[in-house]
Formats: sequence, C-alpha cells, structure tokens
Amino acid sequence: MEIIKTIELTRMFGDFIANNQIDLTVEENEIKAIVGENGAGKSTLMNMLYGLLKPTAGEIYIRGEVVHFDSPNDAIKKGIGMVHQHFKLVPSLTIYENVILGIEVERKIKLGKYSFSLPSIDHKYEAKAIQDLIDRFQFGLKSTDIVKNLSIGAKQKVEILKMLYRNVDIVIFDEPTAVLTPQEIKAFFVTLKELKKQGKSIILITHKLQEVMEVSDSVTVIKQGKVIGNRVTKETSDKELARMMVGREVLLNVEKKYQDYSKNEIVYEIKDLTTYNHDGIKVVNGISFHLRKGEILGIAGVEGNGQSELLDLLTGLSQSISGKIIFNGIDITNKWPDEMRTQKIGFIPEDRYEQGLCLDMSIAENMIAGHHGKKEVCKHGLLLTQKINEKRDRLIKSNDIRVSDCEGNVSSLSGGNAQKIILAREFDANPELLIAAQPTRGVDIGAIEYIHKSLLNLQAQGKSILLISSELSEIMSLADRIAVIYKGQIIGEVNGINASREEIGLLMAGICERKPENEVR
Amino acid sequence: MDFIIKIFSDSLYFTGPILLCTLGGLFAYKANMINIGLEGMMLFGGFISALILFFTHSWIIAFIAAILLAILLGLLFSYFGVTKKANFIITGFAINLLAIAVGKYVLAALGSIDINVISDVTRQMAAIDLGIIGEIPVIGPIINKQSFLTYFSFILIFICQFVLFNTKFGTYVRVVGESEEAAKSIGISINKIKYLAVIIGALLCAFAGYNVAINQLASYTPDITAGTGFIAIAAIYCGAGNPKNSSLYAILFGLSRSLAVNLSLRIGTIAGLLEMIPYIMIIIVLTVVGIIRKRKTLYRGFLHE
Amino acid sequence: MKYDKQALKQSGFKILSMIIPVLIAFAIGAIVILFAKENPLKIYFILFDRSFFRIQGLLKTLHYAGPLILAGLAIALSFKAGLFNMGIEGQIISAGFVVAVLGYLWQSLPSIVLIPLLLIIGTLVGVIVAILPAILKARYNVNEMVVTLLLNYAIIQVLEYLTSNVFRDPSSGYVSTNMIGQSAIMTRLFGSKLTMFFFVVVVVFVIFYYIFNRSKLGYEITAMGKNRFFAEATGMRIQRKIMIIMLTSGALAGLAGAGWMLSEKFSYTLDFSGTPGLGWDGMLIALLGSHSPIGILVAGIFYAILKTGSSNIAIFTNVPAEIIVLLQALIVLFLSLKMIIKAASKRASKRKEKN
Repeated sequence: MEIIKTIELTRMFGDFIANNQIDLTVEENEIKAIVGENGAGKSTLMNMLYGLLKPTAGEIYIRGEVVHFDSPNDAIKKGIGMVHQHFKLVPSLTIYENVILGIEVERKIKLGKYSFSLPSIDHKYEAKAIQDLIDRFQFGLKSTDIVKNLSIGAKQKVEILKMLYRNVDIVIFDEPTAVLTPQEIKAFFVTLKELKKQGKSIILITHKLQEVMEVSDSVTVIKQGKVIGNRVTKETSDKELARMMVGREVLLNVEKKYQDYSKNEIVYEIKDLTTYNHDGIKVVNGISFHLRKGEILGIAGVEGNGQSELLDLLTGLSQSISGKIIFNGIDITNKWPDEMRTQKIGFIPEDRYEQGLCLDMSIAENMIAGHHGKKEVCKHGLLLTQKINEKRDRLIKSNDIRVSDCEGNVSSLSGGNAQKIILAREFDANPELLIAAQPTRGVDIGAIEYIHKSLLNLQAQGKSILLISSELSEIMSLADRIAVIYKGQIIGEVNGINASREEIGLLMAGICERKPENEVR
Repeated sequence: MDFIIKIFSDSLYFTGPILLCTLGGLFAYKANMINIGLEGMMLFGGFISALILFFTHSWIIAFIAAILLAILLGLLFSYFGVTKKANFIITGFAINLLAIAVGKYVLAALGSIDINVISDVTRQMAAIDLGIIGEIPVIGPIINKQSFLTYFSFILIFICQFVLFNTKFGTYVRVVGESEEAAKSIGISINKIKYLAVIIGALLCAFAGYNVAINQLASYTPDITAGTGFIAIAAIYCGAGNPKNSSLYAILFGLSRSLAVNLSLRIGTIAGLLEMIPYIMIIIVLTVVGIIRKRKTLYRGFLHE
Repeated sequence: MKYDKQALKQSGFKILSMIIPVLIAFAIGAIVILFAKENPLKIYFILFDRSFFRIQGLLKTLHYAGPLILAGLAIALSFKAGLFNMGIEGQIISAGFVVAVLGYLWQSLPSIVLIPLLLIIGTLVGVIVAILPAILKARYNVNEMVVTLLLNYAIIQVLEYLTSNVFRDPSSGYVSTNMIGQSAIMTRLFGSKLTMFFFVVVVVFVIFYYIFNRSKLGYEITAMGKNRFFAEATGMRIQRKIMIIMLTSGALAGLAGAGWMLSEKFSYTLDFSGTPGLGWDGMLIALLGSHSPIGILVAGIFYAILKTGSSNIAIFTNVPAEIIVLLQALIVLFLSLKMIIKAASKRASKRKEKN
C-alpha cells in the first residue's frame, strides 16, 4: 500500500524552481532511498513532506488522503517524523527533556471523577517514560544525561527517540550518515532494520550510493528538482544510479600522473602539533606529517576527528600548546593568518561563506581580501579602486567565473562560482603551498571538475598542496600520499597510487593493526 | 543599631523595583531578546500611573492603565524586534528615549515640574503594617512597612524560578533562547514565546514604575527611575538569567543604593559613589567570565565564540 | 563600485531609509501638535525656516552641528565594524570636564597655545576612557555594549561628585565648575555663534571621509562588520583593529566634548551634554546617516536644525520645546527597523533556503 504519494509537487524560491512537479511514491514498511547531488532538491522535498515548507503547487497524499501541513506538528500528527542532518537538540537539556519537548507531561490531581492538569511538568514521570522507550529499542542511553555531553551517534539516537515517542510511522532521515564513523554507520543500519521490523516506513536521503545499495528497498533519483527515475534496489547498480544522478557517464576521477616525490626537498613540516578545544580535550593530539615540493598530501578521515581544529592551527586561527610548523626552513608555529600569507601560503577554507568570503561585499572586495595591503592595490593606506577593478576583471575572465553583474555582491553567485573566487584569489597570490579544505563541498559536478583540474595544474607548477577532505574519493583521485586522521591523530598513511578504499576505510574507523610503516617523524 | 536597621530596611525598599525589573527582563534575556528598554518601560509605568491617579484619584484605574500601557509597549517592542526583526537594542534604546520625551512633553504641556499625587496615596498604599510580624526584634522593623509590590517582588523570585524550570512556557522560553532551530523543529511558535517573554517583562517593569511613582515617592518626574532598568540588566547578566542568582544581585544592588543614600547623611556626597557599585560590579563579573573563557580557549580573535 | 544602476538603486534605498523614519516621526509629531491646538505645518515651517534658511540661524545650526558630527562619526566608526561602543556619552562628558578644569587652571596661557592644547587633551581623555572597554573587548571578548553603557553611568556618578565637591565653583548658585579663562574660550566668528571649532570639525570630517571610503582600514572595518570570521581568517587581526577602532572612536568623542566646552558651555555643569546627551544624539545621527560620512554630515546638520529650532518653537508658538525630544525619540524608534537591510537579508535568506 502507498503510504506517501505526491503529485506534481512544486516549490519555487523566487524564480528558482527547487522542486519541479515531483511524483514520489513510498510503499508502506519499505526503506525508500532518495538520492541526488547537492542542490538537486532533496531537502526541499523533505521539508515539504515534514511541513517546514509549503508547496507552491501540487498535492501530498498520506494513506490516500490529501494533506496540507502548516507546521511540523501537522506532519507529526499524520505520522511523519524527520531526523535532520544537523540535529535540532537543545544542548543544555537532558535526553528526556529533549525527547519530550513540545509535548511535556504535566502533573495531574484527581478529585473524585474529575482530574485536573497542573501547570507543572512531571519530570519524574517523563524520565521514566523515556527510559522505558530507550530500553524497548535497546538504544543503551540514560534518559537523564545532558545532551551536550553525548557523542554524535548518541545524539542521533535522541533525534530518533523524539520521533518514536511521537508514534510516527514514517521516519525521514536527512543525510544520516554524514557525521557518523563507519562503526556508527553500521550500528545505524541495525537501528534502521529494527525500525522496519517494528512496522515503520523509512525515507532515507543520501548521496552515498553504497549505503543505498546496502540498506534500501527502492530508490528515487532526483536531479535539478525533477524525478529522473525510480528503481527497485535489487534490480539496479550504483553505476546506474550515478549515471542517473549526474546525467552523463561519470568520470569521478580526474586523470592524474603519479610521480615519485620522495627525493624532493621537504617544504612544509608539522611536528607533534597539539591543541585543546574549549572543553580541554586534546582535539589535535601530536600530529606530525611533512610535505615535499610538488606533492599533494591528502588528509582523510571521518568528519569531526580534528580536521577543523588542525586546519585552524595551520591557518593561524588558533594556537598550539606544543609542536612546530616549519615552512621552507622557517618556524611559523602560532603565526597569525596574515603572517602565514606573507610566507606565501594560500588557503581554501572549509566553510566558504564563513571564512572564505564576505557575502555582503562586492566581488572585487572579496578578490583582494587577505592581500589588500599589497602594493598592487594599496598605496599609503589608500586602496586603488581602478587597480582593484582591473584585477577583478582579469580574474573573472581567467577563471571563467559566471557573474551576472560584476559590481554585485558575492551573495548573488552560485556555490561553485563563489568557490572559484576564493580559488582565483589564492592562486593569484602565487602560493608556494596551498592548504585546501573541503574544496568541493556543496558545489556542482562541473565546478568540481574545474577545481580538481586547477589543483592538479598548481601541482604541475611545482607547488605543494595539502588537501583536507572528508570525501574519500576526492582524496583518492588527487593525493600522492594519503594520511588518515582519527581522534586528533594521524593513525596511518598510504600511498595514493595503490591505495584501496578498504584499507583507508579501516584506518578511518580507527582500526590499525600494524604500526604505520612510514609514519613520519 | 537603628542606623543599621534603617540601611537594611531601605535596601528592601530599593530592591523592590530593581527586583521587579530584573525578574521581568530575565524572560526576554532567556529568550535571547535582551531588552535595553526596561528603564523606559518602568518610566512609562510610573508616568501613566501617576498621570491617571492624578486625574481619576483611583489607584485601581491607575494600576490598570499601567498594565495596559505595559502590554502596548511590550507589543511594540516585540512587533519591532520579533516580527519586523529590527535591531532590538536600538528599539529598546528608543523606548527609553521615548519614555523621557513623553514625560517631559506632557509635563511641559501641563506647565508643571512633576505630577504630584501625594493626596491620593494612602498610608496603606505606601507601607503595609504587618502587625505581629513587625514586632519581631531586628527582623520586624526591617521588613515591616514596605509597599505591597515590594513584598510581591520577593515572592516573585520563587514564582519565576518555578515558571522558568517547571512549566512548559518556561521551558520553551529557554529552548527558544538556546536553539531556535530545535524550537522550530518541534513546532514551538518562536514568535509567540518571544512576545510573551517581552510582555511579561514590560508588565513587571510597569509594576516597578508604579511602585516607585505611587507607593514610594507619590510623585512623578522623568528621573524617578534613576537607572533602575540598567541596574536590572546588570543583575540579569551577573546572574546569567537564573531567577535566584539574578535576584541575589538585585538585592545586593538594592543594598548598595541604600548604603549610598544613608551614608551620604553621615559622610557627605562621596557616598554617592556607592551608587557606582552595580555598574562596576557587572564590569568586573563580565571581565572575570571573559578571562576564564579566554584562558580555556586557544582560539584567536572571535571564532568559535 | 559606482555610477551604475545597482549602486544608484542602493544609494536610493539608503536615502529612502533615512527619510522614511523621519517622515513617520514627523507625522506622529504632527498629531501631537494638533492636540496642542496648533498647526503642525506652521510649527515645522518655523523649525526649518529660522534655523536653516536664515543666515544667522544657519550659522548657529552649523555651530551646533560640529560636535554632533564628531559624535556621529565616533559611533559610526565602531558600529560599522560591528562594535557597539555606547560609551561616547561618557567619553564626551569626561573630556568636557577635564577641559573645563584645565581651562580654568591654565588660563594664564595665551589662546594660541591653550586652545589647541585643550583640544588635544580632550581628545586624549576620550581615548583614555575608551581604553578599558577596548582592552576588555579585544583581549577577553567582554560584551563592549554592556561595559560601555554601564561605564557611562559610573562616569556620571564620578563627575557629579567631583563637580559638586572638589571642583565646584563656590560662587555659583548651582552645581558647576569654575568658568574657563577668557583665553580658553574660542572666539565667535561673523557675529554669530560659529567658532573655529567648526573648521576643525570640517578637517576631521574630510580625513574620516577618506578613512571610511578609500582606506585599507575602512575596508577592514567594513569586512569586520559584515563578517567577522572572514575578516579574521583573511588575516585582518581583529583584536588589533578593535583597539584602533575603539580608541579612535573615543578620540573623536573626546574632541567633541572638548570643543563643546570651549565653544559653547565654558563650565562643566551636570547637564553639560543636554538631554538625552550628545553621545546619544551621535548614535541617532550615525543611524540616520547609515554609518556613511556624507550621511552623517547631512544627519548632523538636520539634527542641529532640530536643536536650534526647538528654542524658536518655544519662543514663537504654544507647543513646548520638548516636542523636539519627542521627535528625536520617534526617529530612533523607526530607525531601528532598518528598512534597507531587510531587503538585503531577504535575499540572503532566500539563498540559504536554496542550499
């Protein structure tokens, strides 16, 4: 039986069509995967099903009945729940308070046959009720624990509990494995199957095709806001799905020539770098690696294993408590970001819109950022407007940045073009070393190819690149050597040319049977 | 001894309005809508109640008028700050300016320097005699003969503590302040909660204004609030918005005011400097918190705040 | 960056966002005036005619505009960088007080030495008062808005004590310091209230026009205000910039206070800075001028018109001069709505939804 059916569901943001006449069918008690690239419109679709967005046109049917949701509450009433990619939990509250938020249980007094509700939350009863629920699904949590102290996997369980407590029978998961370690992913699949066994229907939004093949019953592929096709999982392959997602034969790996760099001089060396975070945890714990001239070193790892913190150290945004960073023989440990730049180190930050660009400034202003004190654009403390505009026009042209209005702000650009501005800016400063973090996150396939080619071009000019990415395939196709980061440490290193996914995957999960043979100093 | 009793008795007297503003402003603070306009809302409360009492000679009508104006101001502040997403710091600031301006304008229009309502304020309104309790040695004279609203303000501490931690509304206020995303995802109406939090604040500030203008001074001038709203903000910040802790600071600030007033009779105007205590105190508290936080972090600048 | 449709449209928006709150405030003011049984148009005519369209009135307005423009620049400098320096008022009155005391004590010095010296000292006092919040913000990220706001109250208490005790002029009937010496008083020009101080302000204004619009520092201030993470990550050294900005802002405020003392007040009284105070006026001016130097110039003059006009209203009509304070408060209220920024943020949120 069809539990969800949408007919020509459409959603527009201004002129932009995020969802274009989507027909989706979910059968009862199946695990339905919805796949598509970033920006294909998966999240928009789910937000409509969950009442967070209203459709511009089209209908949603739940068990054959037309529904109109004004808020998530309406969706929950109809039995639809959602577990978001970014958890919507209140850190300072306990597990049970989070689970029960919005439907708190209040104390009651009975007077004969009348019963009155008091405006007083019954904390004891709540804690017990949630503990019972936890035990029933064998989640292994304690309901009175404070959420901010939980691991990511546990937080996800709290999100699932929120839905289970509300008795939903359709659960939507938005990119549930993005933040999980491989083991947590395994455990999550067990949870999924358990939910299915208990009669729930599940929608799984993802772009990881292997997971789709492993756990789903059927697949719907979305591209540019449209449904491209539906498949039964058993009758398709990840290759076919990938072709449907992208719309052409996918060449995910750019062509790369591997060379032996082991004779080249060492340009960048990290020795035993360590730092704490706010909670006093050693998030970067004695990391050492080196980079030779002309080489690309990839740092792989599940997100949240210290990459961001390492990056902050390397860019000068935070300080290490011990260890050294040496660049071209000069000690640059704990130097400031501007000092790093004068040493000819370029940066592509992890969060493009937070650290890389200023959305509300013009393209030209963004193109000089970090280099705005250089003689070419600044004299006696005054900026040379004409020179800056010339630079902008030159870079727009040479990097094929598509802008509708070159005077406009960066906020008017797409993700890929915005990233190209950062690339153009950093490459134009002619760095000896480029530190690129998640360089293709959230950009479309075309821009990914361009960015990958640009990085390889830079390498061809004899520059070194440190590539930090959580996309394993990206690292595998670009890096000459791959170091794997796990819990703030480099747990192992493999050669790029003959690396296997399995080997790296084990390292990412923290499984390392042998001592890494060429662990670097 | 009498002098000591006077100091403590006066500190209750001064604490009343500070407490009311503190407990009121705390809800908005917890909902992440810090209300700089507490001072103005209090001043408006004092103004309207004195004005209405002056013309109607009925404290009930005056009190109701203060409540209505407070709701209106609360609605105005939240309409600007929540619905229209205005810069609510500036909105609050504007309410402070407006309160002074309206008062001054009306006084000028009436051709008077104050609104004197002494003839309409009965002894019972100014100070309630607690009878037998008042005869307890030391404690009695300290707590006796305060206005109803002053007593109420102390009871309110426990009410607020209960509301904030044991009711749905209080929980939602904290959730909205801590994570709007979480609130939204389970269908809490963020705007409604913020409106309510602000209006509660406006109401309590109006009570504070009424307390000062009617119960305590029996007259209105545009300077009767004397920075009480800002002291309340200081108390809220120092106590991190927890009703019990913030109230403790409010009481402390009331005490320092009482010291300033009482000591000035003995040691001269230099005692006025004691009034600086709340201001200096919050700066010290904020600094200490800042230093501790900075010690813990290795981040530079203001990333990962 | 200029001469194209987009920029024109944007500056059009800017001007509109300046005018709309003023118009709404004036409309509400008109209703209040009607209650006082007067003709609002007549009142507003008197307000502008006598303080802008007649030469003596205009010179008086410009005289008042001087410190206001400085205060507006001081606020705009910090607000633009996303720093809420509310301490301008405290810095102004501190500078005014110190200059009043020294202007009395050092009156034997010749004008040519004394006046520039006092202006410089006033500026330094502004800087000194700004040091504490600047360090607290830059080093420990202590909320600068709360600190500066409360510091104002503390300063008021201290100055009240000093004025009414240590430095009180015993011959004066009210609380006041001694009058500054003749040599410290800036000479009036053209038989009007205008003094040389106005031209000092003009020079400072031109310098800051370039700092805001053309300089590397101005660029960094804008970047800080718009995206602090971006500014830090691209190596703009926010902590250092915070110090520079807060102290410069204090210097401007100090200069304003010193000028106000030497060209208008001549002795420190408890209402030295008026109601609601020059610093707060400066905030309104900065907001009204949407933090751009030209906007501040216009807003400062507009505001000075209100100031000169208020006495005329009191003299020539039955409406209390306090109507002006009411108008000012209303303007601030409607300014908080920030009409243009709303349009911009709508675009931004649309983009976010897309992703």
